[in-house]
Amino acid sequence: MARLTPILIALVGFLTVCPVIMLLFGSFSQGLGAFGTFTLAKYIQAYTDPALVDILLNTVVFTVGSALVATALALFMAYLNTRTNIPFKTLFQIISIVPMMIPHILFAVSWAILLNPSNGLINLFLKQLLGLQQSPFNIYSLWGMILVEGLLDLPVAYLIIAPAMSSFDVSLEESSKVCGSSQFRTLTRITLPVLRPAILASMTLVAIRSIESFAVPSTLGMPGRIYLLSTHIYRVIATGFAADYGMAAAVGMSALSASITLIILYRYLTRESEKYVTISSRGYRPALIDLRRAKVPLFLSVALLSFVLIVVPVLVLLYSSLVPYTMVPSLKAFTMMSWKHWVAIAKDPISLLALKNSLFLGIAGAGLGVVLTLFIAYTIVKVRTAASGILESLSFLSFSFPGIVIGVGFMWFFVRTPLYSTIWALLIGYLATYLPYGIRPLTSAFVQIHRDLEESSRVFGAGTLYTLRRIIIPLLVPGIVAAWILMATMFIRELSVSVVLSRPGTEVMAVQILRFAEDGLWGKLSALGIVMILISTTLTALATAAGAKWTKVQKVQAG
Amino acid sequence: MEIRIRDLDKYYFSEGKKIPALSNVQLTIPANRIFTLLGPSGCGKTTLLRCIVGLETPDSGEITIGDTIVWSKEKNTFVPPEKRGLSMVFQTYAIWPHMTVFDNVAYPLQVRKEPKEEIKRKVEKTLRFVQLEGFENRPATKLSGGQQQRVALARALAPEPKVILFDEPLSNLDAKLREETRKELRGFLTKLKITAVYVTHDRIEALSLSDDIAVMRAGQIVEIGTPKSIYFDSEQQFVADFIGRANLIPGKVASAKSGSAVIDTPMGPMACHKRIESSPGKEVTVCVRPEFIQVVRGQGEKGPNHFTGKVESLVFVGDAYEGEIRVGETRLITRIEPTANIREGDDVLLRIDPSQCSVLLR
Repeated sequence: MARLTPILIALVGFLTVCPVIMLLFGSFSQGLGAFGTFTLAKYIQAYTDPALVDILLNTVVFTVGSALVATALALFMAYLNTRTNIPFKTLFQIISIVPMMIPHILFAVSWAILLNPSNGLINLFLKQLLGLQQSPFNIYSLWGMILVEGLLDLPVAYLIIAPAMSSFDVSLEESSKVCGSSQFRTLTRITLPVLRPAILASMTLVAIRSIESFAVPSTLGMPGRIYLLSTHIYRVIATGFAADYGMAAAVGMSALSASITLIILYRYLTRESEKYVTISSRGYRPALIDLRRAKVPLFLSVALLSFVLIVVPVLVLLYSSLVPYTMVPSLKAFTMMSWKHWVAIAKDPISLLALKNSLFLGIAGAGLGVVLTLFIAYTIVKVRTAASGILESLSFLSFSFPGIVIGVGFMWFFVRTPLYSTIWALLIGYLATYLPYGIRPLTSAFVQIHRDLEESSRVFGAGTLYTLRRIIIPLLVPGIVAAWILMATMFIRELSVSVVLSRPGTEVMAVQILRFAEDGLWGKLSALGIVMILISTTLTALATAAGAKWTKVQKVQAG
Repeated sequence: MEIRIRDLDKYYFSEGKKIPALSNVQLTIPANRIFTLLGPSGCGKTTLLRCIVGLETPDSGEITIGDTIVWSKEKNTFVPPEKRGLSMVFQTYAIWPHMTVFDNVAYPLQVRKEPKEEIKRKVEKTLRFVQLEGFENRPATKLSGGQQQRVALARALAPEPKVILFDEPLSNLDAKLREETRKELRGFLTKLKITAVYVTHDRIEALSLSDDIAVMRAGQIVEIGTPKSIYFDSEQQFVADFIGRANLIPGKVASAKSGSAVIDTPMGPMACHKRIESSPGKEVTVCVRPEFIQVVRGQGEKGPNHFTGKVESLVFVGDAYEGEIRVGETRLITRIEPTANIREGDDVLLRIDPSQCSVLLR
């Protein structure tokens, strides 16, 4: 296995470093055809653009804003869940997991369908109701983007804040109360400062996700002519007369350096956090705060939040896939419902091709990704040499790379190879961007397999292969299933790498949805979106069932 | 089956330095006895066990189990662990968490592709033997520590091995359970005709469980003997000190006759009747166990091996007091019965039976 390490490092190194190097060289080149001839022209062109000031400002406001929104909401929810007697606590578990299943582009688009200024459902409804001339809301604005991105990243923030909140040593608070502080004062003077590392870590991680984000800026920002770094890169390569990959690379370097800085900051913060957040092993359950009269309103606000996060997007898409054109729900709307858009999708050759490609990338791509991450995780956990440390750092670093920037970097590479404009180019791009998502569940699965479990099997007469089949793989199955589900759902919905690498013939679902959004074809978009959600859920259910069955078969066969 | 170990060396490399884990180990473990490797942590006892079972490869020497050479440097022989036909109980138990109790115990038999009915019969028999009937279909992780330990033992016994190895199997149990399990284990092992090699750092465990004990120190075996001979008749200061509470008094041989020696110690001359093959003038250590020092209140009559001292401290340890008594500059640990009516600060007379005083080489 140790012999495998150099091969793995080469592979992961290629996946992570290749796009970065190509991006760097590309940014100093004249164009895709003239790679290697040094020029500063692209940097000058990119960074003297007067529009760039606004773009950078927008990016900063968007990133900081969504980090604040997501973290504040996560704090509020985690506090309610771990420290108060709010009812139906399973709701919190649902909120922290389920929204990850809804593709970002669909979530963003459903809000566009509700709140766009020309025919947003809520706007139409309010205009009719109040007799307004103008739409009261405009989601195509910076605050709209911040709100939607903040909601999308809420699960990420919650998964960082909630464990810190529940491992928080309550005696710190109790001593403050003994000293006569009020509940509120204790919250602001003790609880929040002690949780500071977790709060900062959450904000950093959400900020990384916002810089990477392409779904929200493209569906909500571009219609209102609000550009961020990611959409600016997209504009440079995908619109206008000639795609300028040199300038895209030059701009991409800023996004990449910002992300890398933030991920290093994140790693630093999470290492520090172990010093601050005191984990009490005494097993005292903190006394739950009785919310009294605030109980019902607070619960309703959480219920509303989960409704908005999970139910609204799906309902909106379902509704608008069935009505012939955008109209406020009414009796008339229901009588006019038809399968028109579904039939149109089923007859649209590009949508069908996109469906086929996404399915292939999701199923086979995630399969390949799991095999690769299985070896990487094994090396990181079990081999434990200096080389496996490099592997860990490499895969961790690539966690921060914005998809669209990786796409541009790979573009510079692929045009030089026969892979250009094939589905394999997309597959390689996906693997490079989402490898860390697979590595995480598998490393924790490997950590659980103590050396003794392997060794005892050998002592009792089992050879290497028998041990692998009866002991190691069954213990890994839950991790493998989790990694496969994560990667498959990510690949099915993938947008930001695809918008760069997808060419005619290699369309994928998310890109097709973006095209529909750009053309305002809400009906077709919604139908395709529902298909996408159905595929993700079906794959998740199948993988879970297969995992459960595999473990069961193992048990029955053994008995 | 007998296990013979000859000229065994094993090195570790740490930060470029070569550290010996085992050096020149010579050992014969007799068949069908409970043989314990005892020593402080880091003495190489677990490494030796892992070499026997085949999970580590030594750097030189030879290991023979029964009539089979399982490892030999010269003959370039290495039999992998799965082909050695041994059983082992791990310190962590190494119970497979994804299997039931039945599957865990059946595993060694399934590996050998025994018929299903045969497996079922043997597993049931073994589980009955370790008093775990009715637990077959429990997930192995849902058991208590003591029960998991018995599953590990059942799994080791199920294939009816000739040799079974134990790597500190009781160290994860609490004190009371450890004591009970120790007795049970001794019962199980003496009922079966089986060679048991047992690794522990716990001297009480070693003394109460073993037929033979090999004491190890820094990668070497320093003494082999029965529990009694190790405890009472050890040749070496390290062993005497490690195996039980001991007073070690430095001295010089004054005179030696057959059956008796007088040693000059800081407390005065001491007559010793055990292990006295020392020549006059030689620096030695006198070893006396606390339970063989008789403590009497007051001054009392003078006599051979009678010393006067003062009680420095008295600690109640449950079944007796542990008294620290100062004789001149020497401090002795003694065992004082709760009925003896002795208090701190009392002047006492110590009587030490010469037949319980050993002369140890330094």
